[in-house]
Amino acid sequence: MSEKTINLEINGRFFQAGLGETVLGVARREGIEIPTLCHHDALEPFGSCRLCVVEITHKDWKGWTGLVTACLYPVEEGLQVTTDNAEIATVRKTVLDLLLARCPGSDLIRRLAAAHGVTRTSYKKPPHPTTCILCGMCVRVCAAKGVHAIGTSGRGIEKKIAIPFRQAPPDCIGCASCAHICPTDTIRCEDTDTVRSDGSGGVRKIWGHSFEMAMCDTCGKPILPRKQMEYEAARSGLDESYFTVCASCSQAKTFKTIGSAFDMGGVE
Amino acid sequence: MEEKTMIITPSRCTACRTCELACSFQHSVNGKPGIPRIRAFMIAENDGHVLTCFQCDDAACVRVCPVDALSRNDATAAIEVDAYRCIGCGLCSIACPFGHIRHETRDNIAVKCNLCKGQPACVTFCPTKTLEYK
Repeated sequence: MSEKTINLEINGRFFQAGLGETVLGVARREGIEIPTLCHHDALEPFGSCRLCVVEITHKDWKGWTGLVTACLYPVEEGLQVTTDNAEIATVRKTVLDLLLARCPGSDLIRRLAAAHGVTRTSYKKPPHPTTCILCGMCVRVCAAKGVHAIGTSGRGIEKKIAIPFRQAPPDCIGCASCAHICPTDTIRCEDTDTVRSDGSGGVRKIWGHSFEMAMCDTCGKPILPRKQMEYEAARSGLDESYFTVCASCSQAKTFKTIGSAFDMGGVE
Repeated sequence: MEEKTMIITPSRCTACRTCELACSFQHSVNGKPGIPRIRAFMIAENDGHVLTCFQCDDAACVRVCPVDALSRNDATAAIEVDAYRCIGCGLCSIACPFGHIRHETRDNIAVKCNLCKGQPACVTFCPTKTLEYK
């Protein structure tokens, strides 16, 4: 982070920020809440949910104000930000109203809408309700991992999260990061733990794939897909043996090793 | 600032688990206790042991994290999880050869010892001085 040299004002309070920080970043750091659905610190800002809109103005702008997405707007000297007023509330309500119409089954959207005073949608019910809010976090997390297995297809009302040619994406490693990060739990990932007598059997089903899981050497529980293990080992430069024991077995082993060392039994 | 280190003397440990309790409360969120980052175990009779993150020099967790959520705090030399960056993929807890990173299912993030930013609560509460920070 660069030196904090930029002075800005949020809700009447003065803050300092570094070059390249966004309004949302500064607000979050200072404990000012701005609702978001598509923002994650680890991912590239996207500005798709439009919930983080804030009003900006500047003393040199002769009274001109504008609504911008806080997650994308970089801080600048003398910026004056308002994170909540009647106009912003209207925008957020409209966004949530639309989302509620699109995703009537999503608990997250219902909760967030209710918190903003929207309990029922004023729009017509869509023919195919979904729980996907098109925040794009799954696509971005896949890109952040360097896998690029999934993407979006179509535009406007036809836009959706898609896999290439509607076939199981060949690049997918089965890490399920997309399913973990999905705020509305739309992406299906099924883990089967049943282990057959020959030690195989753990399977993860995601995006039309059926990945064979690598098992813990000690307890025999599935840890992660074998394909992901190979990928992560190559990416991080760690040996594959780092991924062969589950966390609780590793801890148990450490206790045993340390214990025997102090009992003068020798470390094995 | 002079660098301090966590020193553990297992021969003094009675596995009373006060450290775990202190850790849980120190890392509580919204009044709900967190997962303890330190573990105490009675391995054999009268043989307690306590373990927490070793803050490795070339740490597997840091190398394996796909989004650089784990980084070393230069002031305390502890490796810390940036809770806002963590995507909860669980790779660090698998890669740690000692099993010191755990997964907080409630927030879907990884949790590990961060030496409480230089004032470890477990050390403050340890009744037998098994844990020292100096």
